[in-house]
Amino acid sequence: MTGTKLIEIVGVFALITFAGTAKAEPYLAAQMGLKCVQCHVNPTGGGMRSVFGNTFAQTQLAAKKIGADEDLWSGQVMKFLSVGGNARANYSFSDVPNQSSTNDFAVEEARAYLDFGVIPNRLSVYVDQRFAPGNATNLEANIRYWIKENSVYVKAGRMYQPFGYRFEDDNAFVRQLSGYNMQAPDEGIEFGFESGSWSTQLAISNGTGGAPEQDDGKQFVARTEFVGSVWRMGVSGAFNDTDAGDRVGAGLFGAVRTGPVTFLGEVDYFDDDSIGTDGRKLMASLVEANWKELQGHNDKLTIEWLEPDDDVDEDEQTRTSVLYEWSPIQFIQLRGGVRLYDGIPQNDLQNRTQAFVQLHGYF
Amino acid sequence: MTQGNAVTIQSIKWLACKGFLVPAALALAGCAGDGTGLDANGRPIDNTPIANNDFQEIQDTIFSPICATCHIGGGAPQGLRLDAGNSYALLVNVPSGEVPGTMRVSPGNPNASYLVQKIEGTAAVGVRMPANGPPYLTQDRIDLVRRWISAGAPASSAPADRLVVTSTIPAVSETAAPGLGKLTVIFNANVDSSRVSSDAFTLRDAADQPVALAGVRVPTGRQNVVELTTAQPLAAGSYQLAVHGDGPAPLAGEAGHVLDGDADGKAGGDALIPFDVQAGAAR
Repeated sequence: MTGTKLIEIVGVFALITFAGTAKAEPYLAAQMGLKCVQCHVNPTGGGMRSVFGNTFAQTQLAAKKIGADEDLWSGQVMKFLSVGGNARANYSFSDVPNQSSTNDFAVEEARAYLDFGVIPNRLSVYVDQRFAPGNATNLEANIRYWIKENSVYVKAGRMYQPFGYRFEDDNAFVRQLSGYNMQAPDEGIEFGFESGSWSTQLAISNGTGGAPEQDDGKQFVARTEFVGSVWRMGVSGAFNDTDAGDRVGAGLFGAVRTGPVTFLGEVDYFDDDSIGTDGRKLMASLVEANWKELQGHNDKLTIEWLEPDDDVDEDEQTRTSVLYEWSPIQFIQLRGGVRLYDGIPQNDLQNRTQAFVQLHGYF
Repeated sequence: MTQGNAVTIQSIKWLACKGFLVPAALALAGCAGDGTGLDANGRPIDNTPIANNDFQEIQDTIFSPICATCHIGGGAPQGLRLDAGNSYALLVNVPSGEVPGTMRVSPGNPNASYLVQKIEGTAAVGVRMPANGPPYLTQDRIDLVRRWISAGAPASSAPADRLVVTSTIPAVSETAAPGLGKLTVIFNANVDSSRVSSDAFTLRDAADQPVALAGVRVPTGRQNVVELTTAQPLAAGSYQLAVHGDGPAPLAGEAGHVLDGDADGKAGGDALIPFDVQAGAAR
């Protein structure tokens, strides 16, 4: 039996075994009833895919798999080294009231992941490097040690913070409001606990958005989630102690699958004393519906709401997105959609319309 | 966009907002505000007159509405908070987080300012700002930032009835490159050029000995800037520049206000700018 055939069998076996416990790109995780850690080497999701994640991408995600069945990419290029990557090329159109519309081609991102599994399944050194646009930027660089295999780990270095769902769209209001997204890593330490249907993380970091520490205060971010086969629910909390003022936040998130449609929701609230002289209370919410028409085809409707200052009336904003995602073959995804922003009439940017087509390659 | 398209988009927004498409959204999502009583940044209208200058315009039309959606609060990316009240202090003469050798805003030098590189998409590191673009800033907004920096990046907060030093090159406590021979002092308002002379400035070395100034001038078209040239490139060591608001030749603004050098809110006092010069060959 070839190694790749073994991987395929292990992958399919794992799908059957773990369907009912929990995973990452949040709607896919909810659709399959998997935890983030199932498909990503990073237990909080995003970034490099695990052997299971790569197998899933080739056998379950795409409408059609081309190539020989035994040629499954696992990410492992040698015994102790795995690699991965993402590249997104966009053609986008933007229409801002009272401005000329624009359209352009652009590389949204090209990033590579390296995972050195120096002690297999226990100790890894992980790097997430963005190469485009612009010059190279390190987004994650950390050491991850599973104290107890598959259940308790500690991670130290630069990393994304665990709060709510890690949506692919960093501009989602909930990710923009919290600041905990895949554009703004921070440096610190994270503890994780994976037990049965529960997934829990606690991170302690500088709380400076990746900048060097400027005071004695630290940031604490935590999330815990119950992951069932049909539904899931979790809570997040954050506290950032800075000389500029304290920032406290909480979030509630969950998902439910009903036939071919998977719903996700998140609502976050922050009380931020570091804004202005009086501080601000902010809130954002998101509801997303994903309809899996057929294998490899997903229709996505997302409705978001942002309250930038709870003490100010009539300043709320909404964003409605309609997207179609097609994965014709393994490791390729074609995405397209429209995002409609709706805000106060005196702010043109808050009322813009964007449309895009994206070719997404990943491995 | 055609009128038909606009009507269609408005219809979709209405349907989405009213929850017709996804009733579940109503549980979590609300509608956009109508903006009553708010300014263009979504803040309550304040009838207090504001300073009419480039930095205030940058704050009102770029930082507050666009950048501060992410660059806000204690966890702002790279620690850069761009909400009103914080932006200036975290930009001018502050090293960038991504390329510490480059100032976020280097007064008088837009090309060497990381802010300009980021909004123009030429920075050595990271994505073009705003990160959620396109759309990116229009050319007239970028030109506004460039103009403000070229003019010495003056602050907006100093009242028009005072003259204060807003920044210097080298900055306070900065270590300058070897061979420094020019010092730049930037004010919040235009200075009275007839009162600009070497008597209004004193440069002393670490032994408290005066260092001769060969030239003092107000550059053409930049009335809020004074450039000082030393007779010789400065040797390595510590120095202190004093800009006089007291003494026989105090500096004053065009409006006649004597320099508030010690920034105590009253005319008079000296602005003191200590800095160091590195050892080594001049670049």
